[in-house]
Amino acid sequence: MRAVGIEAMNVYAGTACVDVEALAGHRGLDMTRFANLLMKEKTVALPYEDPITYGVNAARPLIDAMTPEEKDRIEVVITCTESAFDFGKSMSTYFHKLLGLNRNCRLFELKNACYSGIAGLQTAANFVLSSVSPGAKVLLIATDISRFMTEAGGEGLTDDWSFFEPSSGAGAVAAIVSDQPHVFRIDVGASGYYGYEVMDTCRPAPDKEAGDADLSLLSYLDCCEKAFMEYQSRVEGADLAKTFTYLAMHTPFGGMVKGAHRNIMRKVAKAKPADIEEDFQRRVSPSLHFNQRVGNTMGASTLMAIASTIEHGNFDEPRRIGCFSYGSGCCSEFFSGVVTREGQERVRAQGIGSQLGRRHTLKMDEYDELLATSHLVKFGTRNASLDPSFVATARGVHGRETLFLKEIKEFHREYEWV
Amino acid sequence: MGVTPAEDSAVNQEDILQLIIQHARDVLPSLEGRELSPTDSLRELGANSMDRSEIVMMTLEAIDMDMPLAETIKASNIGELAQLLADRKAGLTA
Repeated sequence: MRAVGIEAMNVYAGTACVDVEALAGHRGLDMTRFANLLMKEKTVALPYEDPITYGVNAARPLIDAMTPEEKDRIEVVITCTESAFDFGKSMSTYFHKLLGLNRNCRLFELKNACYSGIAGLQTAANFVLSSVSPGAKVLLIATDISRFMTEAGGEGLTDDWSFFEPSSGAGAVAAIVSDQPHVFRIDVGASGYYGYEVMDTCRPAPDKEAGDADLSLLSYLDCCEKAFMEYQSRVEGADLAKTFTYLAMHTPFGGMVKGAHRNIMRKVAKAKPADIEEDFQRRVSPSLHFNQRVGNTMGASTLMAIASTIEHGNFDEPRRIGCFSYGSGCCSEFFSGVVTREGQERVRAQGIGSQLGRRHTLKMDEYDELLATSHLVKFGTRNASLDPSFVATARGVHGRETLFLKEIKEFHREYEWV
Repeated sequence: MGVTPAEDSAVNQEDILQLIIQHARDVLPSLEGRELSPTDSLRELGANSMDRSEIVMMTLEAIDMDMPLAETIKASNIGELAQLLADRKAGLTA
C-alpha cells in the first residue's frame, strides 16, 4: 500500500480571545460545576477576520516553506467549513488566489458540520491513493468561525446562547496531504464510519446557531461507540485500550470528550473508573490543549486535536493515534494514523502554542462592543469597509504579516496583509 | 437498592425508576436528603447534559440493555425515562 497522509500542518487561531470563565460569569451562567467543562479560552473573530483570513494565515507558512516546483504540485484545494459566506462561490477560490497557486487545480468546498475536516482529509487521501496524478498534493483548509451579534431591539440574546456562546470558537487548520506523510501517516482502510439523519445542532439561517445540545451530545456518544465498533470489525486485532498510544477526538468542549472517553472505555474496553481517569490523562489530555484555548472550531476541531496530540505527546518512538470525528446531522468516523519524532518536530516548528499565547485578551466591554459591531459583516453583506482602528492592538500581535479583511465590494471580499 | 438483572430479567418500570434515582444521587451529591418523584426532570434537579447522559448510561448498564442514547431525549422527566426504558426492555426481551 502506498503511503498517504499529512505532509505538513499548521493551526491559526486569530488575534483575539476571551477568558471563558469570565464570559460565563459576565452572562450570569451557573458556575458551580463550570470546571467540569474543561474550557479555558476561546478565540473571538474580530470584524476584519473571517474564515478566509483564518485559513490563509494557517496555510501561508506551509506554502512559503515549499519550493516553486512543490507548490505547483498542489492540484486540489478543499475547504472544509460550515461558515461560508456564499452558497455558490467556494472559499477555495479565495485561498487559491491569496496563496498564489497553480491554476491547474481543483477548487471546491465541503460541508457536513464538524465532520467536514475529516471528510476533506479522507477525500484528499483518496485522491492521492488513486494515483491519477502521481506526486500531486492537496491543500486542505478546515476553517470555521462563530460570529455572535446583537441587533438593535435586543434580538439575538436568546436562551440558545447560554450553551453556544462560551464554547463556540474560531480557527483554522491547514494541511498538505500527499504521498509523503511526514507528519501523520494514515492507516489506509482503517476507518469505521457511521451516520444517520438527526436534527441535533445546525445553522438553519445565516449567522444563527441552533438546535438541541443535549441530543447532539447523546448522538456523539452513540456514534463514537458505533464508529469504533466498525473500525474494529475492519481492522484485525484492533483494541481500544491497547492499539492507540493517544486518542484525538472532535472537541466541542473538553468535558464532552472526557464523557465520551469514559463511556466508550466502560462499554467497549470494560475498564474500571479509576483506570479510566488515568487513561484519560495519559492518552486523551494531550489532544485538548489547543481546543481548550480556541473553543469549538467545528470542522477544524478534530484536526486541531490531532495537531495538539502531535505537539504534546511523546513520539520518541512512532506512535499510533486513534481519531474520532463527529459532525451534527450526522456523520462520524473513527480512523487512525502514525506519527514519528520527525512529524512532531515539524509541527512544533510552527510555534502554535506561542501563537495562541500572543492573542489579545478582550475585556468584557470590548467583547460586548464587538457583538454590536459584528453585524457589519453578517451573511449577505454587499458593501462594507472594515475599521482597522477597532481593537487595533490585536492586529499586530503576531509580529509577522497577517491577513485581514479590508472591505466588501459588491459582495467580493478584499483582503490586505498587515 | 433496586434489583439486578440476575434477580429478575423482567425489570419493571418502578425498579428502573429507582435505579435512575440512585444514579442521579451518585452523579449529583447535592440531591442528598431530597425526595424525588417521577415528575422531576434531571435538568431541573441540576444535572447538566453530561450528567444526564451519565445517569442514562449507568441505568442502561445496570439493566443490561443497549439502545441509542439519542432515543432517550424524548423523556422529559425521570418517570417518562423509566417508562421509555421499561418499554424498550420489554420489547427486546419479549
